[in-house]
Amino acid sequence: MYLVADISVEICAAKSCKLCTQYCPEANTILYSDEMGKDKGFKYGSAYVAVDRCKGCAQCVWVCDNMAKNNAIKMIMIDQLPKAALTDNITYGEKSTTAVLASPVVG
Amino acid sequence: MSLDYVKFSNGFEKFMPKEYRDMVEHGPFGKKISVSQMGSFKEVLEEHPMCAGCAMTLFIRLAMIAFPNPEDTITVGTAGCGRLAISQAAIPFVYGNYGDQNGVASGLSRGLRLRFGDKPKDVVVMAGDGGTADIGFQQVLHSWFRKERFTTIMLDNEVYGNTGGQESGMTNRGAVLKMAPLGKKFEKMDMVQMAKVAGCAYVATVVPNNPRRVESVIKKAVLIAREVGSTYIQAYTSCNIEYAIPTDKVMEDAKTVENDRYAFSEYISDEAKQYLTERYGYKEFLPKPAAPAAAIPGKA
Repeated sequence: MYLVADISVEICAAKSCKLCTQYCPEANTILYSDEMGKDKGFKYGSAYVAVDRCKGCAQCVWVCDNMAKNNAIKMIMIDQLPKAALTDNITYGEKSTTAVLASPVVG
Repeated sequence: MSLDYVKFSNGFEKFMPKEYRDMVEHGPFGKKISVSQMGSFKEVLEEHPMCAGCAMTLFIRLAMIAFPNPEDTITVGTAGCGRLAISQAAIPFVYGNYGDQNGVASGLSRGLRLRFGDKPKDVVVMAGDGGTADIGFQQVLHSWFRKERFTTIMLDNEVYGNTGGQESGMTNRGAVLKMAPLGKKFEKMDMVQMAKVAGCAYVATVVPNNPRRVESVIKKAVLIAREVGSTYIQAYTSCNIEYAIPTDKVMEDAKTVENDRYAFSEYISDEAKQYLTERYGYKEFLPKPAAPAAAIPGKA
């Protein structure tokens, strides 16, 4: 098993700084969804991780903790994530994306 | 080399992989995008085999977003880590022999001008410090002296990272590396000064811990290279493997190095300033309005 980044929607949707989307070295990996936070009654949307593309470098964790000071991202073993976003389940929209969460571990 | 190539061929739409469909329908082609929208559109860069947490990858990702017209851009590269990612983007990539990337780009840039006339087609060279300052040094300098109109970006990781850690001309004096166990005996080459001497119209040094700045620098360099002359960007993109930087400390290292010895610097020739202002509406180079005369004390 290996580590991937996991973003707390509760913390992220309250601040919505989007810094992690700009500092992740991998393209199309940390994405932003308006619905993910607003559906839960938060003011903003939330960032989320396409875990099949995450290489586990934890740069986003440093950026979230030290630059944004939000502490919203933790590294978690992929089999400990009950549900996560995967590239195949992500839909791009005009100004945001939506993701249907699914189990990241098959079998 | 135009929006025509970023679309489905008739009848093939349903057979294309999801990544390709997303690229055509929600990619940056034909739109104005910026780093503030990152995470909400499909980026041109796809999955690639570069190391986890590599600062060079982040810089390449930001560069691809910053290109003013990705559909009218060709990237040129050479051996080195960078080409592993640059070649995995929906932007045509030409892979030169080691060190000849600026020679290839010179011909390419001239050919595109002959073929397409005034329609801007951007050529951007992205190569490592070895390809730019050591093995490709002669072709790089000559392309600048000839004022070839394309952008050269050096991905400066200060080491030959792809071949096990030999010192390069851009390695700092005293640096001990796996294949340079006694430490480098010479100073780091001053390529910025050489670019100015060789007549580049725009020269900048940048570190990828400020995405907006990277975007701004690359946009200016590519636009100036369309008509004015050669442009050069030197980007510090640390090698976390050869310099043993923990991946979650890569941005901390970038910040430290930026404060220590890689401060942001930007040189723009007067001709390039005028071009950016008149052609693309940049306001930062306009003459500053004269300050109002200081009030005379005692005469309120």
